[in-house]
Amino acid sequence: MQPRITTKRLALFAAFLAVAGIFIGAGITVRSQKEDPSSQAPTGPAPSRVLATKDRKIPVIATGGTDVKATVLRFIDFAGNAGGDQKEEIRRSLEGLRQNSAAIEVMCEEAFSAQRSDHSRALLILSLLGEARSADGAKCLARFMKLPFPKTGTTVDGEIVEQTALGTLQAKAIDGLAYLRGKETNAIVLDAIKSHPSIIVRAEAIEAYLWNNRDNEADARRAVSGVVRRGEEIYLDRVRRDTGESAQSFNQKLEAFLRKHPEAVGAKPEPDKDTQRPKDERPGRLPAPPKF
Amino acid sequence: MKRIHLILASAFLLLAVQSVSVYAVCNQSSASTADTNLWNTHGCWQAFFLWSYKAYDQRSGDWNSRGWNDACNVNLEFPKHWNAAYLVTYGLLDNNSQSFHGTADYRATGEAAGSNFHSSLYHLASDDSCCFGSFTPTVFGPNELRTMCLLYSTSSANANPASRAGDFMHEGWHGWLRKGNWNNGSCGGHRCGPTGSCTASGCDYFYFHGIGAYAFGALWQTDGTANRFHSPNQVQVEFLCDVADQSKGWVPNSVRLAGKADADQRAVARFINGPGYKCGDPRPW
Repeated sequence: MQPRITTKRLALFAAFLAVAGIFIGAGITVRSQKEDPSSQAPTGPAPSRVLATKDRKIPVIATGGTDVKATVLRFIDFAGNAGGDQKEEIRRSLEGLRQNSAAIEVMCEEAFSAQRSDHSRALLILSLLGEARSADGAKCLARFMKLPFPKTGTTVDGEIVEQTALGTLQAKAIDGLAYLRGKETNAIVLDAIKSHPSIIVRAEAIEAYLWNNRDNEADARRAVSGVVRRGEEIYLDRVRRDTGESAQSFNQKLEAFLRKHPEAVGAKPEPDKDTQRPKDERPGRLPAPPKF
Repeated sequence: MKRIHLILASAFLLLAVQSVSVYAVCNQSSASTADTNLWNTHGCWQAFFLWSYKAYDQRSGDWNSRGWNDACNVNLEFPKHWNAAYLVTYGLLDNNSQSFHGTADYRATGEAAGSNFHSSLYHLASDDSCCFGSFTPTVFGPNELRTMCLLYSTSSANANPASRAGDFMHEGWHGWLRKGNWNNGSCGGHRCGPTGSCTASGCDYFYFHGIGAYAFGALWQTDGTANRFHSPNQVQVEFLCDVADQSKGWVPNSVRLAGKADADQRAVARFINGPGYKCGDPRPW
């Protein structure tokens, strides 16, 4: 049956078109706005000038008294701000911190306090604590490993983001514990390989144990093989790109890995049969950024 | 007439509800340590954000309440976005014998301009808490690349410039898949998971390649086989790893550490065919 076109129906249709028009028009207007962004605060010079005047002097940490906390906080800030070009200097400074229990305690408190509020700060402090290789630092990292692993939270892409956040921090704590190479700390690392609920931590624990005990590789692999979960043995052979490693060395490791683990080769890519290839547009030119 | 009023009222109500409900709003009261540390290397560089908003095709209507007119306030999303763009543009070493890929590759993947890497893109921010980011193909105009609160709100582990820029790579690579007409799966452009070694709901394959297999600027190339191909998570991991240990000497340690942590966790959780590369040695600092 054909519907009858009445005046009322035409009016309804016109009203619908008007509403749709308003919203589509508003959308187009918003998208076509081309106003430049601006700033309410003064803007700075080019970064090369900012970096040229940057303070590169590593703050000294007090060994006692009321200055300890303030100097530790200054040191943490400095370490986070410093570039990779000061990594070695900071490592040397941390050697001097090994016996400074008061400073390590402040760092430990700061790591726990940043855990939920500022992930990158917590990561930074756990790295410093691990590198300090101190007995007090080890106790702190062991305590950090005991933080309860969340069972619920915000699910994104099928993962609970609170688990991922704590997993990456505990993986960093594991790096510090493995770096100590002590009997008790090694036991924590091996236990993490076996029973930590997160693959992020288990994978890091395998890597850290093998790397820190690389002077006795056969024993290290035996120890890890004894605790690794079934199905995760491939982590013992994982390809690592070491800092400063040559392309030739990396590529040889990769070839050996793929020979041993042909199952790690990705599946053949699939062309999309259902959708039309979008029409090719004239390539846009990448504009040149301002001079650094 | 009554019916017209009813329809109009319903239409307005529907649109109003769609636009205001369900979404959280990004936290605009602070910036992460990594964001602040990277920010300190430029102290707010006007010439850059006046360039980057064009390079990333950002528009005032989308970023108005997110720092478009307060572009030196690092607590807001627009400044955080350009802080990440700054890392991509200047932060990498482009070391032929050690980097996975070069600045030319990462810029072309994240920036808006149409190229061999993808058709043109358009960067927006969203308060949606569903994801870190999204890529939405459009019929008319540039495809949409959205970055969301989990990349901006300080308490989130991914609210740092390395992870944010990593998401530009991930979503930009969906643009590459689309341009090349590749089917990477039906779960948001990924294989549905968990499956194999992948614990997430959207999974990829890792297509291993050696250092130097791709000349800088040639990341877009493929021979249509697993020998020469990239997935979105893989491009993201390789970028994050290059930030972690192939970045310029001035790139702050907090940014490198955040990049490494994200690369490492993604490498073990997002790939069907086992873990991707391990990024650097496990020395704590």
